[in-house]
This record gives sequence, C-alpha cells and structure tokens, in this order.
Amino acid sequence: MSPVTPRPNDDLVLLGRDPISPDTLVRHVRQSHDGAVVTFDGCVRNHSHGRATLYLEYESYESMALEKMKEIAASLHTLFAIDSVAIAHRLGRLEIGETSVFIAVSAPHRKAAFEACRHAIDTLKKTVPIWKKEFFADGAIWADGELPPVPAATPAAKPAS
Amino acid sequence: MQARVLFFGKLKEIAGGPERSVDFHPGETIAELFERCASQKPELAPFRSSVVASRNQEFAPWTTVLESGDEVAFLPPVSGG
Repeated sequence: MSPVTPRPNDDLVLLGRDPISPDTLVRHVRQSHDGAVVTFDGCVRNHSHGRATLYLEYESYESMALEKMKEIAASLHTLFAIDSVAIAHRLGRLEIGETSVFIAVSAPHRKAAFEACRHAIDTLKKTVPIWKKEFFADGAIWADGELPPVPAATPAAKPAS
Repeated sequence: MQARVLFFGKLKEIAGGPERSVDFHPGETIAELFERCASQKPELAPFRSSVVASRNQEFAPWTTVLESGDEVAFLPPVSGG
C-alpha cells in the first residue's frame, strides 16, 4: 500500500494482506478544495452472536472483488457530489481490533461525503465477493452474509427449465 | 467443452477444493453446470438456492448459456466488511 500523489478523482482501491494504513487513505483523498473527509473504519469485534471471537479470517475472489470495489468507487462519483474515494479491504487472518475495511471519501461539502461513505460500505457488504470466517474457542463458522443481487436473465439466455 | 469452476467460502469446503474443470455440452447453462458439480459431490445440491453464480467475474443468472473456457464461480452470501 504505497503512498500515491493525490489528484482529483484519482480513486484508490486496495485488496490485500498487508495492514491497512488509514492515514495513507485519508491523505490520498484530502485536497485543498475539499471541505470534508468522511471515513469508515470497520474493525474486528471481540464477540459475535454472544460468543467471544478469537480472530477472523477473510478470503475473497480477488480479481472479481477488486473490480467490484472499483465499480463502487466509480458509482459514488455519479451518485454524489464528491471529490475522491479510497477503499481498502484486508484479507487473511485479522486479530481483534484490527481494521478489516477502511473507506475515505472527500467532498467540497460534508453531506455528500457522509452519504457516499455510507453508500460505499453498505454496497460493499452486499456485492463484493469477500467471505469472513469467525474463529471461537470451540470452533469456527462462516459468517452470515448477504446474497448479491444478480442481473435478470437477458433474452439471449435460455429460459429456465 | 470445458469450464473452470471456482468455489468460495463454505462452498469450497463442501466441494472439497477451490476449483475444478467441468465438461459440459454446448448450450448448457450455469444451472446445468451446478447440477454436474452436484452429481459429482451430492453435498453441494442443498446449496443451489442459497448461492449465486458469476460467469467470467460478473454476477450471472442461472439461465446463462456457457461457452467453452468460461470461468464460473459459485458464491455463498458475501460477508466482507
């Protein structure tokens, strides 16, 4: 996750095993013409469904996940009056308290930055092919998730039998 | 014709591995490809209604007709974040 010279609308999308650097992402989106930077820091909680969590493991369909994250970043520009976006998601084993996902959105005004950041994390959780396994003292389970929306069949497709 | 089939999350454990090559006949759909996988590994069958599919890294309906060389993934509910 190397620092990048920021430019307007130059979004940053990262998916990998290295720890996420929130400072790098905030610096990336923050420009002199912005009046607001809103961030979301998703971190590993020490409990789930009433049980003490030991750690989490994230895996993904990496090439598709990265594309879906880029699509989210691009969509924010069409939906909200924002400047730029940085999204990072981590994979592999994460300990309690570590950041699993971080989103930073800059905008001239705060309302668009808040709304876009919320939209980004909500959409990520529904559409990006990443899976979380929760490890407890007495076993491990795949976390409940959301089934991504799938486009309707096109006329070219064969009718369901 | 052959497709590269990928399994993720819980499905990977049930399928017994992350990927396999599956032969299919021209004109077959993603749904039929899943049936072929489930006939090899019957434990997969109950997951048909609780997963979605992608074809060449785009979410795709079950009725999508496959082409040789396609990369098809079966994706359980996603839980990133």
